[in-house]
Amino acid sequence: MTSAYIVLTCINILLAWSVYIIMLTGQVSIGNSAFMAIGAYVSGVLTVKFDFPLVAALMMGVIVSTMAGALIGFPALRLKGVYLIMVTIGIAASVETLIQNIPYVGGVGGFGGMFGTTVTLSVICVIIVCLILLWISRTPLQRILEAIREDERVAASMGINVTYVKVCAFAIGAGIAALAGGLYAHYMTYIYPENFGIWASIQMLLYVILGGTNNLWGPAFGAVLMTLLPEYIRFLDEWRVTVFGVLIVVLLLFRPEGLLSFRTVTARIRNGRVSKPAEGKGDQDGRA
Amino acid sequence: MFEQIVNGIVLGSMYSLIAIGYTLVFGLLDKLNMAHGEVFVAGGFVGVFVLANDLPLWVAFLVAALIGGLLGLLIEFVSFRKFKTQDAQLTAALSTVALGMVMTDLIQKVWGTEPVPLKISPSVYTSGFDFFGAKVTYVQLSILFISIILMYLLTIMVQKTKIGRFMRAVSENTVSSSLLGINAARVIQVTFFISSVLAAIAGIMFALRTGVASSTVALTFALKALAIMTIGGLGDLRGALYVGLGVGVVEALAFHVGFGSIADLLVWILLIVTLIFKPAGLFTKKSQVEIRV
Repeated sequence: MTSAYIVLTCINILLAWSVYIIMLTGQVSIGNSAFMAIGAYVSGVLTVKFDFPLVAALMMGVIVSTMAGALIGFPALRLKGVYLIMVTIGIAASVETLIQNIPYVGGVGGFGGMFGTTVTLSVICVIIVCLILLWISRTPLQRILEAIREDERVAASMGINVTYVKVCAFAIGAGIAALAGGLYAHYMTYIYPENFGIWASIQMLLYVILGGTNNLWGPAFGAVLMTLLPEYIRFLDEWRVTVFGVLIVVLLLFRPEGLLSFRTVTARIRNGRVSKPAEGKGDQDGRA
Repeated sequence: MFEQIVNGIVLGSMYSLIAIGYTLVFGLLDKLNMAHGEVFVAGGFVGVFVLANDLPLWVAFLVAALIGGLLGLLIEFVSFRKFKTQDAQLTAALSTVALGMVMTDLIQKVWGTEPVPLKISPSVYTSGFDFFGAKVTYVQLSILFISIILMYLLTIMVQKTKIGRFMRAVSENTVSSSLLGINAARVIQVTFFISSVLAAIAGIMFALRTGVASSTVALTFALKALAIMTIGGLGDLRGALYVGLGVGVVEALAFHVGFGSIADLLVWILLIVTLIFKPAGLFTKKSQVEIRV
């Protein structure tokens, strides 16, 4: 049973990072479950119907999903704030409905026959993605992403190609989500379109917000917590879901910036305890 | 065919009612309340409870509206009171997701996960009259009637009354409006109350229309209302009404022709296309766009 928790935790960490990398540019995506679905179905079809080896199929899934992310991201990222959230919700809902209507992959009935995700493979995937994200956080790209998040106009005036960077981040996020989707499909052996509904996207977002959005470890911690917490409160039995929901509400109330949000804390102290650093920015971007 | 259109209009009027409640909170106050669908569901179950105790239907409506409104106040207090800045809105939205999860779970503790039938005489569903060859039941007619009255009252309230002016002022700028002596916190509470009352009434009407209250439709309805509201334009009550009716009719016709599952897709594609080409909503005039965007 422990191996099941490890694999699911790894998948959820990847999903959290897929939202996190998009959020680095200040964009919020509630559509990553769509890319997870693309990854799961592409790699699943390749291994089951075309006898691809698992790793190759996973990579194909990531490539297809990254391209889809770039294609969808290009028009979608013209929108900001709530409008972008709505478009990504729309994408997630459409992809789910679309898969339900494709008989080739089983439609509503689901698609099965995949196998092969092991603990080693999923841990390796997490380490690879982690190394890539760590590398990004040490290159100028991290500063570029942060500049775009803080103020797009200033970033653009300093010569940063804002659209290009945003689409890139969106596509990378889509790729990571697809990797997680592929691992998920080959671990569960049978997948349904409703596994990749909007609820899945909301959960990914919850990992990130709960863990903290301003460093790499926050989302990972959020994912681990959200995967393992329901198991630890199993003794509550039928009150499990209620307690879990209340716990989330309480955690969000007491750590609204996320459980692991170091950088914000230090920034606040350095600025002489400015209590609401986001106030001025919020008014400006409010309607955007 | 004509009967399907009538069906669609009735369905659409309920969509509009939920979407208008949403647009009050999301469009005017910029707060994304993901527990709105759960209030809708709760409304249906309050109806079940009241009717099971042999009370008349109007009592059920009254109690559902009251409990829905109180749930709205609860949501505002738990999820939105602390998160005021723009950046915290996402956190607030996720907190309402968790709250909705708790509400659904509590409802399922009491009534189970299966749809619960309403205790109401079956003759209600069959009695009706012929309208140009289409059979219109009194239930459908009253749903349509109640929806239209509520939407009309709401539009009057937002545009003509004092509290409506306060709402628009708070939506424009919370800080300035409180400097001018408006109790912004109270106005936000009232907005949440009204929005949730509308959701709860839509919930009990949906239960009446189908004859059962179901606890699993919350997310579907919340998302559909969200889409309708965005297509109509955020904060645009009229837009939400038109789009809601349109979507209802299209859906009913699609089911009639046998493309039921594609109908859902249409809403979302319309949403994406609208947002890309006319992000301020289908029915927003140019001058309003400049103010808004």
